This record gives sequence, structure tokens and C-alpha cells, in this order.
Amino acid sequence: MKKFILPIILLLTPSLLFAAGASTQLEGGFKVGPAIILITILCVFVLVGIFFRAKDTADFYAAGRSISRVGSGMAIASNWMSAASFLGMAAIMYGSGYHGLSYVVGWTGGYVLLLILMAGQIRKYGKYTAADFIGDRYYSQGLRAVGAIIAILISISYCVGQFGGIGLMFKWILGIDYTWAVIIGGTVVLAYTLISGMLGVTKNMQIQYVIIIISFLIPLFILSFKFDYFWLLPQIGYGSVVSDIVSGVNISEANHMFNALGHEFAIVPSPEFAMPWDPATGQTFFQWMAIAFSLMVGTAGLPHVIQRFYVVPKARDARWSVVWGLFFICILYWSAPAYSAFGKMLSANPEVGKLAKDAIVVYTAQLGNINSLIVGLLAAGAVSAAFSTVSGLLVAGSSAFAHDLYVKIINPESSPKKQLFMARLGTIVMSIIVTAIALLKLGLIAQLVAVAFSLAGCTIFPLFLLGIWWSGSNKQGAIAGLIAGGLVSIISITYFVAGAKGFDLPAAAFVTKWLGAWFFAWIGAPLAIITNIVVSKLTPETPLEIRKFLVLNVHS
Amino acid sequence: MDPNQNDYHISFFKPTTVQAKLNRNLAIKLILVWAVAIFGFQYLLKVIEKPTPEVAYTNYEKVWENILSENASTEQMQIFAHTSLSVLGKGFCKPNEKEALNNAVSWVSYQLADSSQKEQLLIKTKEFENLKTEITSISDPQYIELKNSLSELGSNILGLQSNDPRTKIVSLELVSSEMELFKAENKELIPAIMSTYLIHNQSFLTDFKFLGFPFHYFYTAVFLLVLFVFLCWLYCVRIDKMYLRLDIEE
Repeated sequence: MKKFILPIILLLTPSLLFAAGASTQLEGGFKVGPAIILITILCVFVLVGIFFRAKDTADFYAAGRSISRVGSGMAIASNWMSAASFLGMAAIMYGSGYHGLSYVVGWTGGYVLLLILMAGQIRKYGKYTAADFIGDRYYSQGLRAVGAIIAILISISYCVGQFGGIGLMFKWILGIDYTWAVIIGGTVVLAYTLISGMLGVTKNMQIQYVIIIISFLIPLFILSFKFDYFWLLPQIGYGSVVSDIVSGVNISEANHMFNALGHEFAIVPSPEFAMPWDPATGQTFFQWMAIAFSLMVGTAGLPHVIQRFYVVPKARDARWSVVWGLFFICILYWSAPAYSAFGKMLSANPEVGKLAKDAIVVYTAQLGNINSLIVGLLAAGAVSAAFSTVSGLLVAGSSAFAHDLYVKIINPESSPKKQLFMARLGTIVMSIIVTAIALLKLGLIAQLVAVAFSLAGCTIFPLFLLGIWWSGSNKQGAIAGLIAGGLVSIISITYFVAGAKGFDLPAAAFVTKWLGAWFFAWIGAPLAIITNIVVSKLTPETPLEIRKFLVLNVHS
Repeated sequence: MDPNQNDYHISFFKPTTVQAKLNRNLAIKLILVWAVAIFGFQYLLKVIEKPTPEVAYTNYEKVWENILSENASTEQMQIFAHTSLSVLGKGFCKPNEKEALNNAVSWVSYQLADSSQKEQLLIKTKEFENLKTEITSISDPQYIELKNSLSELGSNILGLQSNDPRTKIVSLELVSSEMELFKAENKELIPAIMSTYLIHNQSFLTDFKFLGFPFHYFYTAVFLLVLFVFLCWLYCVRIDKMYLRLDIEE
């Protein structure tokens, strides 16, 4: 590998140095340095994908179960740290202050639930995909198909936000129209997923994690140093930035520090940035709690997250990979709020104008007058974050399509070659659908991704939770629970899309308030669980072999 | 029914295997800590919070009645403009709210200007508005010069001190067509705008500083994440020890 990477770096170095003097404008224009960095990184990804490409279906689906705990933890983190983490979280906090922390807490706290209630048991159950588990545990081919379809829908919903992020970054770097940026970015990520499959993806994810975290942290150290905050640990140092925003900074206190546009590092007192559920942000206490809860149960129900536990050799490894994964994730999550705080300070002057919130991480680095190459690295890191997640999602979605729908239901006699072809066909179809939806620009990245979480929380999470922890949960209960959770999801998503497209449905204000698209799992998940329990109690018992398997293989 | 069937039941609340029971007990303890740490703290914040006005709001309250009745002194007019600029400086306003505040700042500035300043203010504001539509970059020297000159004039009229960050936004918030009259519909909007943007939910947990952070912010953004990693680590260590003690091979 080294013999390929080194010449590429050597070849590109002169161009990078030339590009260092590129313009610092926030919008528009082709940015040479960032473009070269992005292309270099993508080349490395594809090369790694080729070197570790899938050789058969077992490799494609679950990487041959040959990944170490730390490696799997890095893969979990890279898989997890999407455009929503890299760009979206800072965007939400930049726009809504403390409210945005519900996303930080929701997207990390869910791992505790996942580990304690499910991770080891899922590995012990020994299935390849979420739909596999649902079909076997609830002894129903129909439920397997529904599980596969839900997994595909969740993957699509999750990918939409990622494609939005890829589009924004490609737009920023290449200076092209958003539509073309989404199409080009989508095509590149599709090509790379098709070439590599999951084995390549897992290896890539480890490399991607390193790139993502380095690209995210370097500008933060520089910003903290430059603006005279505790730079050795910016994840703590930015606390003073938050306090400065709350109390305000006078021009004399700005100490001759300026942003890239020449504005003093000063701000009027803005407590709304840090105070809980501040009226100025338009967010409420209920929303904070509902979002945190929905994201947590969604985390424990996302097929592409659950699927990561199948690629470790033992249940013990599955558990420890969560610890490592969460630690690696938290390094980014401790840092993301710092970008929103610096972003707030640096864009305090109205002259900066309304910035696209989803690109605030990159704008913050630009406004902080950081070298354009480092800003380019940051943008490339954002693209990597989206790529790593999208590839995992496409594999999860295509696995659901090829393995759970095609092989298990439509054509059980199909050859391995045919199966691999169907997996790749599924990937292509999903990419086209996602690109089409991403072009509609339905919301912020984090919000679009949160829809996928609520959907998973209402559907997959109850099936896994009860499937693992209660042998009494049967096929009928699962179907009823799915209907309940599915109905809540359909109502919420219908109102969301209708609202975004300007259609006025009856009781829209009520539904938006209590069943918002980013947090409808607060009611959908408990409702699905209760329905599952009640119907299971009223219908015939779970077959003996399932109960026996649960007791002897999963809990013994 | 086969009597053996009832031997194979498992439930979180009635675990039938040693492993499930140990798992369950540990899970309950950790999830309890997890839930209280996340949701309990937010409830606590909610319970003890008090609507706390910013200094700018307290000042606004003192002068608003006189502004409405048009009996305000120069100093009171200036305070009202300062408060309006404080809200504008936050960058959170909706378009109609911004319009109302722009009207307030422009009207006060014009009212407080003496006759020579009035003309200057109007001309410069109009020039600046025109220039804004023509320039391609805010680093245009002519734009910067006019902006600074208008800011200086506006700040002098409004009595803003030179180190006040609001001096830097005065020129951006003046609107030439909004100077003559403080419109009735905008007056109506002002009280709601001020209370929305200048009153915050605060308590000793938000006022107390820890490592430079407001404490509640540190707790949620930093500490909770440390706790999550710790809980996961603790779970894995405890489970490993348990399985070793019970000689469970996975």
C-alpha cells in the first residue's frame, strides 16, 4: 500500500503548496488545494478498497469475521461519524444553542443502551443482518421481508442527509451547483462501495477514522491557539468561548483579534447560545427530551450499527468493540460543540451574513483565517465522514435487498455470483433513490438523519429488544408492534414531507409539535413495545425451538 | 403441552438462566445511573430555572413606556436603541422582527440627530444602501470607508462607547426609509421581541462556572459523554469478571 500512497503524496505536494495561497472567500469558486486533498483522499480510499476487496458473499456481508476489537471500534466510529456528526451537530448547536446538545447526548447515550441490552446477545444470535434476526426470531418469512424493507428505508433515509453533506462539501470545494455536487459525490461513493464491499469498507473505515478525526481536530487546536484559549485541550478550552458568548466580549477585550473578514473577535451578550431551551431558539424542554430519547432508541435499532456486531469473532469482542467505538466517537463529539462556539463568535457581525448552517464547521475554519489547505483537509474530512457512513449504509441496505429479500425469499437457489450481483444492483438502485431525495433539500443534515433514527426506534428497536429479552414475544406481537410503530412513523413523515413541500394537512400544528419528524420515536417506540407485549400475551406462545435457542444460545 | 416447554422461557424481569440474571441485575443498575444522569439532570434544570432578564431587558423595561408615549428623554431613547441593537446583534431574529428593530434603531438615530447630523445620516445611509447592492466584496475600500464613517456617526448619535461591539453593527442596521416614523405595527411587536430574546432560563447551575463552562453546559456536553464511555467500560469489565467467575465460555 505504502508504495502507492507515497508517490501520490510526492506528486501532489507541489500543487498543494501552490494552492496554499488560494482565496479565503466563504462561498463560490473552485478551490484548488481542497480539491487536490479531496481527490487524494478518495484515491487512497479506492486503492484500499481494491486491495481489500470482497472475494465472496461472506466477505461482502460481514468481512469474514476477522476484524479486531479496536479495529472494529474504529470501524464503528467511522461508520457512525457521518456528515451528521461532522457537519450537522455543530450546525444544530450554531443555530439552536443548548438544544443541539440533545443530538450530542442522543447519539452517544444510545450506545450504552445498545451495549447493555443487545450487543453481546446479537452476536450470539449469529445472524448476518437485522432482517435475518427478525425472520428467524419471529419465525416468519413475511417479517423477514418487512424487516429487510424497513432496513432499506432506514438506510435510504439516513443516506439522504449524508448525500446532502457530500453535496455541500463538493459544492464548496469544486464551486459547482448543489445539484451537480450531489450527483458527482453520489457517483463517487457508489463506485467505491461497489469496488470494495464490506471487507474493503472495514479496512477503509479504520483509515477513514484517522483522517476524519485528524482533519476535525487540527483546525480546532489552531483556532483555540489563535484566539487565545486553552489550546492544549480545545475540548475543554472552548468552555471559555461559551462563557464569553454568554457574557459578551467588548472590542477592547478582543485584543486586536479579527476574523478573516476583518471583524473584531467581539460579540454582544448572547446567553441564548448556552441557556437551556431558550425561547430565542424556538425549542422547548419537551423537544430536548424527545430528541435525546428518540436518538438513543434509534441508535440501538439501526441496522447498519447492529450489523457491525456480526463482524467480530466473539460476543466479548462485540461488547468491547462498543466501548472502543464509543470512545472514538466521543473524541469527535467532545469537539463538535467547539466549532459551533467559535463559529458563533467569528460570525457575530451581521456583515458575515446568513451562513449555511450545515457548512458552519468549514466556515468557522475559514473565518478563523486558517490556512486554506487545512480548511481543505477539514472539508475532505467531512466528505470522508459521509463516505464512510454511506458505504456502510449501502452495504446494509444492499445486504437486506440481496440476502434477505432475494436469496432468502425470492431465489434461494441462486449462485454466490448471482447473489453478489444482486447486492451490487441493490446498491446502485439505492444510490439513485437517495440522490433524488437529497436534491429536494428537505431539512438540515442532522434533522434528516434523525428521521432515520426515529424510524429505527419505532420499528427495529422494539423487535430486537423484545426478541432478545422476552421469549414471550411472538410473531403476532411483532406484526402488531410493527404496525403500531410503522403507523406513527408514516403519520409523522407524511406531515413532515407535506409541510416541507408547502401542503397544509389537518392538525398539522399538533402533529408537528408532538410527532415531529426528528423525535416521533419518543411515543412510537413505547407504543410498539406495549402493542407487541399485549398481542403476544393474547396469541399462541412462541415455538419451543425459538425459546430453547434464546435460553441456551443467547442467554447461557 | 409438553411440560419441558415451560423450562425454556426467558424474560428481562424473570431471567431463568444465571447469565441472564446477572446481566439483568447489572443492566438495571447501569441503566438507572444512565437515565438519571441524562434525563434527571435536565428535569432538575427545568425545575429550578427562573426566567432571568439580561441587563439590556431591564433597561428596556425602564424606558419603554416613555418611548411609547413619545415622552422619552435623549438618554432613554439611546437606551432603547442600545437594547434594539443588542437583539439585532444576536443574529437570531425573524425577518419581521428584524424589520421592527431596524425601524426602532433608525427612528431613534434620526430623532436624536441634530439638524446637520440628520442630513448627513440620511445621505450616508442612502449611499451605503446603494453601495451594498453594487459591491462584489465587503473588502471594497469605498465600502469600508463609508461603513466606518456611518458607524461613527450613528454611534455618536446613540451614545455608544467605542469599545461596544454594537458600534460595529449600527451602520448595517440603519434603514433610510425607516427614519421618519416608528411604525405602529412595529411598536406592537417590540415587547414580544424583547422578552423572547432577552429573557433566559437560568439558575445556579447555569450561572456557576466549571473549567470555564457554564456548569450545565459542561455537564451535558462533556461530562455525560465521559460517563457513557465509563458505563460501557464498567459493563464490559463486570461482565468479563462475572463470566470468568462462573466459568462461562461464550
